[in-house]
Amino acid sequence: MKPSGGAPGRILALLREFYDAPHRGALARARQEEEDLFMLMVFSEMMGVPNPASYYTLELLPLIIEDFHAWHQRMGMERSPLDHIRCC
Amino acid sequence: MALNLDARPILFVGGKGGVGKTTTAAALGVALAARGERVLLVSTDPAHSLGDLFERRLGEEPEVLVEGAEDGAAPGGGVLMGLEIRAEAEVDRYLASIRDAMRAFVRPALYDEVERQMALTRESPGAAEAALMERVAGLVVEGPGRWDRILFDTAPTGHTLRLLALPELMAAWTDGLLRQRDRADDAARAARVMGAATGLGGREEDVVAPRDARIERLRERLHARRRLFSQVRRALLDPAQVGFLLVLIPERLPILETEMALRTLSEHRVPVLGLVVNRVLPAEPLGDFLEARRAQEGIYLDEIRERLGGLPHVQIPLARHDVVGLSALQEIGRQLLR
Repeated sequence: MKPSGGAPGRILALLREFYDAPHRGALARARQEEEDLFMLMVFSEMMGVPNPASYYTLELLPLIIEDFHAWHQRMGMERSPLDHIRCC
Repeated sequence: MALNLDARPILFVGGKGGVGKTTTAAALGVALAARGERVLLVSTDPAHSLGDLFERRLGEEPEVLVEGAEDGAAPGGGVLMGLEIRAEAEVDRYLASIRDAMRAFVRPALYDEVERQMALTRESPGAAEAALMERVAGLVVEGPGRWDRILFDTAPTGHTLRLLALPELMAAWTDGLLRQRDRADDAARAARVMGAATGLGGREEDVVAPRDARIERLRERLHARRRLFSQVRRALLDPAQVGFLLVLIPERLPILETEMALRTLSEHRVPVLGLVVNRVLPAEPLGDFLEARRAQEGIYLDEIRERLGGLPHVQIPLARHDVVGLSALQEIGRQLLR
């Protein structure tokens, strides 16, 4: 939030920040969890969970490979857990 | 009794390996073209033999097998064309399309990873089946406007049943993914309203296409898949569009397998139009050895009537020679659609 100018505006912005910050963290976490679940569904076959559609999943790979690195690090794996995908 | 195919544009010919599916499908195709229909004959069996029957090589694209007034074989605009689906070629085409997408959406540093993944998929056992299914799906959805009939000469029964079950499975899978994608995007929107960080996937400036564009494309792909799968499923369950013919010979194992196929097909509510009982000994006197054989065959034919009796069935007598070439197929076709 940008302060809208003047001392009252700054105070308002600070207050808003004070109330928003915890929720923002929760929302960001919720977002990540939903993203993670999506990623897990797409990559399930590589994790050893049979995926009837793994062939059709491949076409999604170019679209999510950029997010894969961030994902596995968030999952607590410093290196890529998959032999096939060595993004780092 | 003869088969009643009505105007159903999509017919599957199935049965145990070696009972004469391809011959039956081809003969049916010849007979329908002779009635003036535009018929496409599609072989899905990985061990293709459709081309052999017509004594020629067939490929991925439809080729004319019988046309026009040639021997009066297909008058009045009738034509029979055929193709053989080559699953490996389909897989390669699919991989090439992914490679195109890769150039647009992935930064060059990650090309190797995508390539490695593609190489693995190419070798995976499910790939050929999935590719086959995709081509069949395309023909089922797009074919009926272009052809009066599409006849699928399928692989042995188990494979075919799986092909019929796949669209449902796939539709469920894409539904699940899309739902999850919606949840992820809703959560992202909520986070953005609150001003939470959006740089989830690393440094955006390195990326060929921005994340929003990639997710948009992802959605498009998933929607296109779901549309295709649900169209196929709907077509396969529509008795006005699809019919299944089961081919067997009067022997124990084919009868058992046919019974099982029939049960599964009715569970999936796929309409079965009838049975073709192939290689029945001809009515003429055959000598002691074959007469003994005929007594055995009689038992099996009774069994077919008992266990599979609810369906119309046609008997095709065993021929003196191998069935090859147009005139032999015409003869069988006449018996099928008498």
